[in-house]
Amino acid sequence: MSASKSRATNLHKAERKTLISFLLLYSFFSIILLAISGYLYYSLQKDLMLEGQTNKLQEDSYKLISRLRYLHEHFDEDHTYPRFPDFRSAIYDSSKKLIFTTLNEDNVNLDKRLYTINENIHYVRLLESYYLGAMYVVIEVTDSGQWFRYMKKEVIIYGVVLFILLLIVGYYLFRLMLSPMRNSLALLDRFIKDTTHELNTPISAILTNIEMIDESKLEPLLQKKIRRIDIASRTISTLYKDLTYAALGNRVASRNEKVNLYHLLKERIEYFKVISSAKNIHCITDLHKDVYLTIDRTKITRVIDNLLSNAIKYNKRSSFIKVTLGKNYLEIEDGGIGISDEAINSIFDRYARFNKSEGGFGLGLNIVKAIADEYRLEIKFKSKVGKGTKVRISWKT
Amino acid sequence: MENVKQLTGLLLLAAVIGNAQVKQSDKEDIYRQNCMKCHKQMSLTMQKIFMRYLLKYSSEVSVKSALYDFLKNPNYFTSALRKDQIARYGLKGKTTLTDTELRKAIDTYWEKYKVFGKLK
Repeated sequence: MSASKSRATNLHKAERKTLISFLLLYSFFSIILLAISGYLYYSLQKDLMLEGQTNKLQEDSYKLISRLRYLHEHFDEDHTYPRFPDFRSAIYDSSKKLIFTTLNEDNVNLDKRLYTINENIHYVRLLESYYLGAMYVVIEVTDSGQWFRYMKKEVIIYGVVLFILLLIVGYYLFRLMLSPMRNSLALLDRFIKDTTHELNTPISAILTNIEMIDESKLEPLLQKKIRRIDIASRTISTLYKDLTYAALGNRVASRNEKVNLYHLLKERIEYFKVISSAKNIHCITDLHKDVYLTIDRTKITRVIDNLLSNAIKYNKRSSFIKVTLGKNYLEIEDGGIGISDEAINSIFDRYARFNKSEGGFGLGLNIVKAIADEYRLEIKFKSKVGKGTKVRISWKT
Repeated sequence: MENVKQLTGLLLLAAVIGNAQVKQSDKEDIYRQNCMKCHKQMSLTMQKIFMRYLLKYSSEVSVKSALYDFLKNPNYFTSALRKDQIARYGLKGKTTLTDTELRKAIDTYWEKYKVFGKLK
């Protein structure tokens, strides 16, 4: 009951992670879409505002032109440029050279008819008769910015509402897309669980029965055959445990306890003795007594089993394994084939295997790393091709 | 030695300024002798004619170019004056000035009546 509950929680955790990634990406594109829409709406509102000002600006330009004409005709008597209380103006000749200005904003674009610049609206008009040599007349009025404030408020409100709506739609889309995958995962989960359960019974039966056989009463040839069956069963048993852990184990809540590593190591070395002796591998131990670690027993057993199994699997015949247990470390060394520098970087990758001739799924070290990460154990690999590998797992006391 | 250098420098500067002033007065002389001589007797002032050109041609380059074209080949099409004004005052004869002199006279005319810097 507790395992299934934890499994459900973990499934949700993985989903949540994907959901966050999906929503982040979805939000990013939604924001871009909303920003483009907002900008288009802003441009439209600005154009509407400017068009609303056009009539008034045209009237202002007529007023100015009329005064320019008078000044042009009486230039020998009067040199005073016309000024108006409600707008400012400037005149430019046909080469766009400034003749005179009363504008607040010096930056003028004579190629545009109507535009806003730094809280000012500029209206540019071309003259047919160049009074005072002026071909361009620029009328400037102050932009109160009221339209912008109103538009900004609208864009923010509608933008936020739309964004929330898009997020809700995104969430439901995500759920919709996930449901077939969810069903497949549940099916696969059930299948692995059932299969592993079905495997457990025959393996246990084989191992228990082999243990019950009194080897001394057997003929040497039969004894050899029984040992082979024993080795094969133990290998299957290790694989079965790895598979079970990979499929289900990491979803089950940990049951931490104070584990005596000395006793556990002794037990596991003894368990692998049958396999190591088949390769004539000599096991040297230097184990410090009374070394305890608060950890889930099943998990630390997986770590030890995988390291010992690898040390045997990738070892040479008639070589050695050295297991050292210190107060805050465990070291397993072998005189085996070693791992190249390139391969050592991907050592913890799931399904990574360094010698295809040996059996296995490449799950072992991936499981070791996951457990080490969970308990903050530090793993260090030292290896030389042809000389052997040394794995050191250390922890803080 | 240092004093001689300073003196030479001052003399050179005076010569350059003097030369520029001579050139300016030379330009004005051409304008006065060849343009003002007749125009000052007319009721249509040089200012009014200038404003006619400005009204039609706007920029300095265009005004100067139009004046040059008219003075080189005075006719109804190159003149900026209205038909009634031409009918009243008549068309002047072709200029006898060289191109350089004519351009100098036009430059003086522009400087004298241009709008730039005069508005307040």
